[in-house]
Amino acid sequence: MKFIETLKLALAAIWAHKLRSALTLLGMIVGVTAFVVVVSLIEGFNRYVDEKIAGIGAKSFTVQRFNPLEDFKDTDTIAAAQRRNKELTLDDYDYLRERAQLIGKIGARARGTPSEVKRGDEVLEDVFVSGATANCVDIENRDVAEGRFLAEPENESAARVAYIGADVANKLFPSGNSIGQEITIRGLPYRVIGVEAAKGTVFGIPQDTFIVIPLKTYSVNYGGLIRQRSLYFIATSITDEQFNDAVDESRFLMRVRRKLGPNEKDNFGIVTPDAITGLRDRIFGTIFIVAIAVPGIALIVGAIVIMNIMLVSVTERTKEIGIRKSLGARQMDILKQFLVEAVTLAIIGGAVGIFLAWVVGAIVTWWFFPTYLSILAILGALAASGGAGVASGIFPAWKAARLDPIEALRAD
Amino acid sequence: MSDATVTLSPTENVINAPATEVDGHDPSMLISMRDIWKTYQMGTEKVHALHGVSFDIPRGEYIAIIGPSGSGKSTLMNLIGCLDTPTQGQYWLNGKNVSEMDDDELARIRNQEVGFVFQTFNLLARATALHNVELPLIYGGVSASQRHEMAKQALTAVDLTDRMSHKPNELSGGQRQRVAIARALVNHPSILLADEPTGALDSHTSAEIMDLFERLHSEGNTIIVVTHEHDIAERAHRVISIRDGMIEKDERIR
Ligand SMILES: Nc1ncnc2c1ncn2[C@@H]1O[C@H](COP(=O)(O)OP(=O)(O)O)[C@@H](O)[C@H]1O
Ligand SMILES: [Mg+2]
Repeated sequence: MKFIETLKLALAAIWAHKLRSALTLLGMIVGVTAFVVVVSLIEGFNRYVDEKIAGIGAKSFTVQRFNPLEDFKDTDTIAAAQRRNKELTLDDYDYLRERAQLIGKIGARARGTPSEVKRGDEVLEDVFVSGATANCVDIENRDVAEGRFLAEPENESAARVAYIGADVANKLFPSGNSIGQEITIRGLPYRVIGVEAAKGTVFGIPQDTFIVIPLKTYSVNYGGLIRQRSLYFIATSITDEQFNDAVDESRFLMRVRRKLGPNEKDNFGIVTPDAITGLRDRIFGTIFIVAIAVPGIALIVGAIVIMNIMLVSVTERTKEIGIRKSLGARQMDILKQFLVEAVTLAIIGGAVGIFLAWVVGAIVTWWFFPTYLSILAILGALAASGGAGVASGIFPAWKAARLDPIEALRAD
Repeated sequence: MSDATVTLSPTENVINAPATEVDGHDPSMLISMRDIWKTYQMGTEKVHALHGVSFDIPRGEYIAIIGPSGSGKSTLMNLIGCLDTPTQGQYWLNGKNVSEMDDDELARIRNQEVGFVFQTFNLLARATALHNVELPLIYGGVSASQRHEMAKQALTAVDLTDRMSHKPNELSGGQRQRVAIARALVNHPSILLADEPTGALDSHTSAEIMDLFERLHSEGNTIIVVTHEHDIAERAHRVISIRDGMIEKDERIR
């Protein structure tokens, strides 16, 4: 018997019991939908992050007080790092800038402080204010919409100028024309020199509620570059090919400057995009296992339900099996008929699950969070549901194939 | 096989004529049964449905197997049709020893050599008449277009040209039995086996079906009808009477 005949038979049998088939598949559909949605979320997130990293332009790395991957593993490592690692200083910055051969650009930055910002009666709470050297505009690939970024002389003289995010501009200057206007940050007047292009939200977090002021201005007005206001450096390599060498060179220079012996740990941290993606992969490894386990259980339940229904179906169709055998169907023909029916049923469930996951993914993408449905996820889901179909169909099909033709014909 | 036996035509073959035996059977016969037993184990008791049955059937014959209920007719028919194998004894069909065949070979024989007609028709309820008739061809691996042609021809042969796309519940009893006969004949089998084919039909329709058998016989088909009704048996050319699993009488009546 040809496969196409078997498939037609399976589809006819499934169609003959539409409602029952649909109910049978609920578990399967839930499992596959859950699986594909989770995979779409993870893949969407990965692509999003990759895109953001790519969007930064030239690859950059930061030199900072702590290495989050190494130092923040548990309370002991945090305590040890806090004892060992010293704050970076502007002298460290000058040291690196003068000696590093492979660094293209290096800027200095300070972690920011949520601050109150005012203009007239308009008050904004918790605007994130940070300090930066002028060259950070290129290193961080900032998109200036109006005016300009900070200039180095403004940094040197600790001028009170502000480069503001689109959100801040819109709220304080609803009618536009912010450049050259005065705003009050933490009680001190600043002059707006530039507005950044709107970035929208990333994972629901607004990206445009910030102000960047010159590093020195920040240091003077916020009380030194320590603790939450730690200094850190952000650097690019001369060419992308030399990126890793530039990272190694900076580490070497920092170790020399800190006079570390060959067996001592770094008492500073260098963070590269690879380290970030590595961390991400580690987090998602765990999420992925959970993401597979939950739909996996639903899939097993779905397979058991299909097996049950197939056993019922074999009993109901004993007479049909007898008739087919009397007309020359071999055991293999009957086995294939029921197995293909179970697998087809399961794959229909899988396909419905994939479709629902696609709908859910589209809604999630529209409202919250980028998702991505890859061919691999689709094929994986189809393979999993097909596999569940084989597992659930093989025993009922074997039972059907082994029926004695005379006994089967006697059934009604 | 010797030439002498091959050239023997069915009509010349008188029932009790000395058979030309090879390996304990007559190779010229379509069916050759030797000392067939069928025993069922019922708990601790053994039920002998057939006790040492032997007979030969040449090609082209029209035979009735008659006997009271429980005499072993259906058991015998299931053996002839290769739905079952004997507990003991030898059965040659078309020169092949069926008693030694495995499940798949038996299925192939049922598909190619045997056409069944059952008392309760045994049609697939969800399938059209045409599809029901196509079933044996599907298992015989016949291509879809050829299958269609052959099934249509078979339905035409039983005067159901205008009922091909009807489902069994849209057909009368007589029409259903004719679909079953078309299905039995579509593969051009060696034997047409009917177990109480008129058992579920009224007398008028029964007569029609029996006329159809007569016509099929005149066209060269070998027909075996199992019945407990004498008037049905009398339309055959040879009647084998069985009682308690044994052959009581085996006579040519025309
Ligand atoms: N599967 C079986 N198990 C046990 N006994 C059986 C079975 N099939 C038939 N028999 C017995 O074999 C005998 C012959 O049955 P059967 O061939 O159906 O008779 P008939 O068709 O002539 O009415 C009966 O006594 C019946 O009870
Ligand atoms: Mg019977």
